[in-house]
Amino acid sequence: MPELKTMEYLKKIYKKRVNELQELRNNGVKVIGTFCIFVPDELIFAAGADRTILCGGKNETIPLAEQYLPRNICPLIKSSLGSIVNDGCSGIDSCAHFGLVDMIIAENTCDGKKKMYEILDDFIPTYVIDLPQRPDTDIALQYFLQELESLKTELEHFTGNEITSTKLLDRIKESNEIRKLLHQLYCERKRDPSPISGVDVLKIIQKQFFLSPTEFKHILKMVIEEIEHIQPEQESNTKPRVMIAGCPLSGGNTKVPKIIEERGGVIVCEESCTGTRSFWDLVDEDENKDPMLSLSQRYINIPCSCMSPNKKRLESVVDLAQEFNVDGVIYYTLQFCHGYNIEAYNVQKELKKAGIPMLSIETDYSDSDIEQLGVRIDAFLEMIS
Amino acid sequence: MITVGIDSGSSTTKAVLLEDSKQLAYTIIPTEFDFVKASEKAYFDVISQSDVQEGDIGHVYSTGYGRKNIGLAERSISEITAHALGTSYLFPEIKGIIDIGGQDNKVISVEHGKVLDFLMNDKCAAGTGKFLEYTARALNIDINDLGDLWFMSKEPALITSMCTVFAESEVISLRTQGILKEDIAAGLIKSIANKVAIMAKKINLHNSHGPIAFVGGVAKNRGIHAALEQEISTTLLIPPEPQITGALGAALYES
Ligand code: SF4
Ligand code: SF4
Repeated sequence: MPELKTMEYLKKIYKKRVNELQELRNNGVKVIGTFCIFVPDELIFAAGADRTILCGGKNETIPLAEQYLPRNICPLIKSSLGSIVNDGCSGIDSCAHFGLVDMIIAENTCDGKKKMYEILDDFIPTYVIDLPQRPDTDIALQYFLQELESLKTELEHFTGNEITSTKLLDRIKESNEIRKLLHQLYCERKRDPSPISGVDVLKIIQKQFFLSPTEFKHILKMVIEEIEHIQPEQESNTKPRVMIAGCPLSGGNTKVPKIIEERGGVIVCEESCTGTRSFWDLVDEDENKDPMLSLSQRYINIPCSCMSPNKKRLESVVDLAQEFNVDGVIYYTLQFCHGYNIEAYNVQKELKKAGIPMLSIETDYSDSDIEQLGVRIDAFLEMIS
Repeated sequence: MITVGIDSGSSTTKAVLLEDSKQLAYTIIPTEFDFVKASEKAYFDVISQSDVQEGDIGHVYSTGYGRKNIGLAERSISEITAHALGTSYLFPEIKGIIDIGGQDNKVISVEHGKVLDFLMNDKCAAGTGKFLEYTARALNIDINDLGDLWFMSKEPALITSMCTVFAESEVISLRTQGILKEDIAAGLIKSIANKVAIMAKKINLHNSHGPIAFVGGVAKNRGIHAALEQEISTTLLIPPEPQITGALGAALYES
């Protein structure tokens, strides 16, 4: 496949965004850092602030974090903290935005992140929202709604701007627009053969919470327009269609998707926070309803492995695998991510029932296991083709 | 059609030469430092063992750790696929394969040579041929004699460490306590068998309705063979030359 113009464009986007954030701050606009898709960015925007995602995908910043954190926790957590404590970690590529936030809005999800946030607060003021872990009850919804109300107050305080229902509804509509564009992009990948590589889609979606909504929308429109007309050679038809399911693939981390596609597979869907989990469900735009309630209902339903029981995720993995007509699922977990790691057992069970093969892999951000992963992935691709 | 399969492993390189799927020659040589050189040597070894001329060879396929760098081969296939093909060719009715090699363990669930599911050990030498090699050294015995000690032991020692480095020091500590050599050896064997059996059970091999084969260099070790049969409560089929099933599978690829 020839290189897409969108991918060319994307290469210059990092610097541009960093300049933009700097400028916003110079003009008194607050920039908020986030780590997780449970934090509704509609609220941040409605308060007149901007936001940028701080999930680390780089190996280089991990040693910097090990001064503060134990060695045996998930690389995403270490990489994130490493990037922040070193304030823009000079000399490391694509790291400058970590030094550009005024405040962090974190969330009580997995144990590792929760405890890391307590340390993080020493470096940047960190506000934590709590999440009920069993999301499917009325009480849970009420509780989460309250948590979002408190966050709203906090944001209003911090920015000095009131969050009105009208402003919030506008931002909900804008975020929904992005979600719909992502649906369109993913829809293109249902074609056989898919007109775009999984690595390209990943590089785009990794920017979802990094860029401004306007810029991100622009990129999505550009790529959709570009690939709509692509008629891939029929020979790529024989490539096995793969779905990745599991942990997020944070910015800078494309290790496993690259191995999969270099070895002859094509990724057509990601059941991940850098994938379907970040956009699949829309927020209700009903104007006669409290937008805070609509937000709560949508966000509490995100099927992350920190929820329990997590039937929704099990169902959604199988549904997506079928909808995207995949030949197999590669279950991707980061080392020491107990939630997704343990959940592999039940996901495997459900996929087996549906007759869909699954390969489990566990890895970190280092390059040391590329060959070992390659052997397994080769064997899996041979098995499903 | 004459084909050659080369299995470029971390400790040994194997080659098999077939004519119309009939095995004419095979070889097993140490890989040493240079994977490519070893593969060439193995290739010419099997040719010179048969009366085949190099020009008569139709296809060369590679597998194994160094498979991507074998210039002689026109393409490479993964070890999993190769072992499944090779072992199923020898035992057409098998439903499972356990392979313990120099650097990794694999368990494969198969049906008529097709892979249904598989698992490989993670990035660690626990329970592999390397584990045996190091711990045999700590016991001061030849690796080939290690297996025989299994049958002499009445009370296998308990080895708790799966890490090769720590197991080595555990062995030394058992020695200082005066534990019998055969009991330590049997303990090591039991710990490997146990680790591999857990992998096999994870993909449900113990419930597959059909025989299971045991291949790879370590399958020649009688003690491990017996211990593994005990752990998964079934008899294991071992080919006459269990080390060459990967190379055989590569030679059979696309035939
Ligand atoms: S995996 Fe869970 S905790 Fe991590 S970003 Fe996604 S929703 Fe948040
Ligand atoms: S990958 Fe797992 S352990 Fe790491 S931050 Fe996300 S949920 Fe937590």
